[in-house]
Amino acid sequence: MRTRRFLITLSMVLSLAVFAGAGRALAQDSGAGDAASLKEIQREMRQMRAERKTDRALIQHLESQVNELETHNAKTQPTADQLRNTDQKLQATTLELQQTTAQVKTLQAKVNAPIPPADFSEAFNRYVGSHSFTITGAAAGQFVYDQQSSSIDGLHHASQNTFMFDWEPMILYRPTDWILFQGVFSAGFGSSGTGTDLSTADFQIFLNKYMTLVAGLYDQPFGDWYEAQSPMWVNRFITAPLPFGVEAVVPGGEIGLQLRGGMQWGKLGQDFDYTVWGGNGPTFSEPVMGAAVGGPSSVASSQTNGKSIGARLRVYPLPIEAEMGRLELGASTYNGKWMNGNWFNSWGVDFNYFKDSFQARGEWLEAYRQMPSGMGTDHRQGWYLQFGYFLNQVNAPMVPTEVNDFIHRLEPLVRYSGVNQRGVASDDIAGATGTGFGGTQVGLVPDFGITGSPALYAPHSREVALGLDYWIAPSIVWQNEFDIELPHAGGLFVSSTGVETPVGSVPNDRAFLSQFTIGF
Amino acid sequence: MRKIFFAIVLMVVTVGSLGGIVWADEPISPAEHRKLFREGAELWPIYCNQCHNARPGSEKAPYEWDQIMMHMRTLGNLPPEDAQAILEYLKAGR
Repeated sequence: MRTRRFLITLSMVLSLAVFAGAGRALAQDSGAGDAASLKEIQREMRQMRAERKTDRALIQHLESQVNELETHNAKTQPTADQLRNTDQKLQATTLELQQTTAQVKTLQAKVNAPIPPADFSEAFNRYVGSHSFTITGAAAGQFVYDQQSSSIDGLHHASQNTFMFDWEPMILYRPTDWILFQGVFSAGFGSSGTGTDLSTADFQIFLNKYMTLVAGLYDQPFGDWYEAQSPMWVNRFITAPLPFGVEAVVPGGEIGLQLRGGMQWGKLGQDFDYTVWGGNGPTFSEPVMGAAVGGPSSVASSQTNGKSIGARLRVYPLPIEAEMGRLELGASTYNGKWMNGNWFNSWGVDFNYFKDSFQARGEWLEAYRQMPSGMGTDHRQGWYLQFGYFLNQVNAPMVPTEVNDFIHRLEPLVRYSGVNQRGVASDDIAGATGTGFGGTQVGLVPDFGITGSPALYAPHSREVALGLDYWIAPSIVWQNEFDIELPHAGGLFVSSTGVETPVGSVPNDRAFLSQFTIGF
Repeated sequence: MRKIFFAIVLMVVTVGSLGGIVWADEPISPAEHRKLFREGAELWPIYCNQCHNARPGSEKAPYEWDQIMMHMRTLGNLPPEDAQAILEYLKAGR
């Protein structure tokens, strides 16, 4: 500002100097007109003084305005700074808003997108909690028609023409990823009314990848049938094969401990598995030859003086990549003292082959039971061979599609089974017309197995079973079975006191069963 | 008989002791998940159908499959890696 004022003043001084110089030049050039010129000069000088005065006033006015502007500018500077800051903040806010908008769009897209199954699974698992129950199992309604052709040597056999119902819920509880509890109740309404049974209840503790400890009441891990085939919706037939029926060769259950596991030894599908176990040991309905095996002994030492031990090894030789199906080969043994120092020894081999729609399975079992002095060894054998073929890939020509759809759900089956034993306890047969030796048996062996065909209690029983299953869903099936009991060699009937009565070949018998089963 | 049995037990304990960690609920990578899914899809129709009809994953909730497959691993003595692959397939196949 001072610089500007100095420049204005300097310009005015220079102007006066110029005018003064000009006056002296005119005087030297013209002497005659000096007076007139002087007056003119004086007039001009007055004029210049007036102008100078006017200019000074103007300058002062301008200086005043400049000062005012400077003052005003000084006052408005903070506001300008404030405005500048506000503008910067606004820009930053705008940027944040743009980023937030982009994030919202991203989140919106995620919300609108379908939830990946894995994420949903984790979320649902978190929702239900880590301590949760699962209920599975099976239920079945049955109809049995069995008109006995005759009795066996005067022993009564009731004919069957009745409806029955079985329900076997299984409860699973998984408190951690290495402990599982499972339990199965069996409840049935059969020929002798309602009966209930605790089929299995055990803890499964996964010690490491290849070793699981099972503790409790469990199906006998002997062969394949008790463990894998006894559930109603799993068994392709309604009844059990003869070696696992009323005159079973090996007890169907045990209470104790198991160690088990499996591993891959070759390519994918080439596996090996093992099971070893010990328990309270076997029991029998009576201490006579031919008596039926019982369930697990509640107090081992009261009758057996010792525990049972068992082992099963299975191998799967076919790799999956060979596309030759799945083959299982197994061997089992189960041994224990059933009374005092008397041993029960058993062994068996089994196989199972499955490829596409075809399945075959079979087992051979043999048992030796030491008897008290004066009685011979109770030697038993049993076997079964079963085939099935699912018609899901069979298309009949020249028939409507609906017919082919019906055919695709059918599975024809055939099974041949038999048991050899020297004798049968008469009380087992007599009791079978009522509640049987162990109360009403349900589940593992349908009621029909207790009160069924006379051949089931024959010393040398043989049975051909024909089946036709109609699969509504993978675990919903309407099963139909026609049993043909074949006459074979006779043997002995043994009373509770050990009196043996020879018996001839059993008569022919036929039975029809139908069952609707749901596995859930 | 006893000698044979105890020899089997000794073999089992030896083999079992080779096992590593228990099947754990640990998160797996997407690549590992895809690998297990493919393997499970291959094993599911064969391992399950060996004893019973293979049931689709849609029948049960994922937490139920966790429990059922633990039981099946025990009952079928399934190799742990195969059981986990089938489990992943059943849960993801929903």
